[in-house]
Amino acid sequence: MKSVSQVVASLSHVPGVVAAMVVGAVDGLIVETSAVLGATDGAGDPRKHTAALAAYLYAKVTRASNAARLGKPAFMRLEAEKGHICVVGARDVVLVTIVTPDANLGRVRLDMMTAAKGDH
Amino acid sequence: MEDARLISGVLLYPTGRAVGQFGFSNAADVMSICALTSAINASARELGRQLDGKPFYELYHAGAERQVFMARATAGGQEFLFVGVFDRESSLGVVEIYFAEFQKALEKLLPEKQATVPGPSGDFEGELNRSLDALFGPIGKR
Repeated sequence: MKSVSQVVASLSHVPGVVAAMVVGAVDGLIVETSAVLGATDGAGDPRKHTAALAAYLYAKVTRASNAARLGKPAFMRLEAEKGHICVVGARDVVLVTIVTPDANLGRVRLDMMTAAKGDH
Repeated sequence: MEDARLISGVLLYPTGRAVGQFGFSNAADVMSICALTSAINASARELGRQLDGKPFYELYHAGAERQVFMARATAGGQEFLFVGVFDRESSLGVVEIYFAEFQKALEKLLPEKQATVPGPSGDFEGELNRSLDALFGPIGKR
């Protein structure tokens, strides 16, 4: 079983991943995070907001999925203008990555799901 | 506030004097919460100083159905306390985000300094009775 630091380090090295985080599923607080790739001092740090809102969103998606009788969501990807936010649930935490638009999403998805299974 | 799913909240001075509130219909509830928040803040600060060498400014308690978030806010050189209650549909992380936005909005208001409250008059028993009357209503003549 990998530690949260190892999970974050491993995910942050996947090509296209700007930042990887392990976030509390209930409180939305960051448990472990990587640095933001290419971050400049002038730009605000997106991690805290992204972590809290991604965990919140994942909780709502889980409810929607359960309401539709589809069971627990396996993988959530939010596609935006300048990239993606990927979220995978792993018991009491969620894995969150901020990804560039040109990233290999298949690789990101596989690595995140493998990491999440490793937590079980 | 709605996005953070806050059910109720009070902004107050550290002395316990209310500045504004939402979600309460009873003034006595607001007064009680202000008094308790002020006391908790004083205790937490001292506890922080003793344990960590610096005051604790934030407090969070997760109940079965409701959660409480308390934090310090500053604006125009004046210090405030905020206490908010939110349900299980929200999370501490989300509330912290909206509290940070609230803090920025508060700073823009640049509020005036708190009006000076006269100190104790020396009539401790009289002041205590007046405060108790204000909180619980006057006691009938025996």
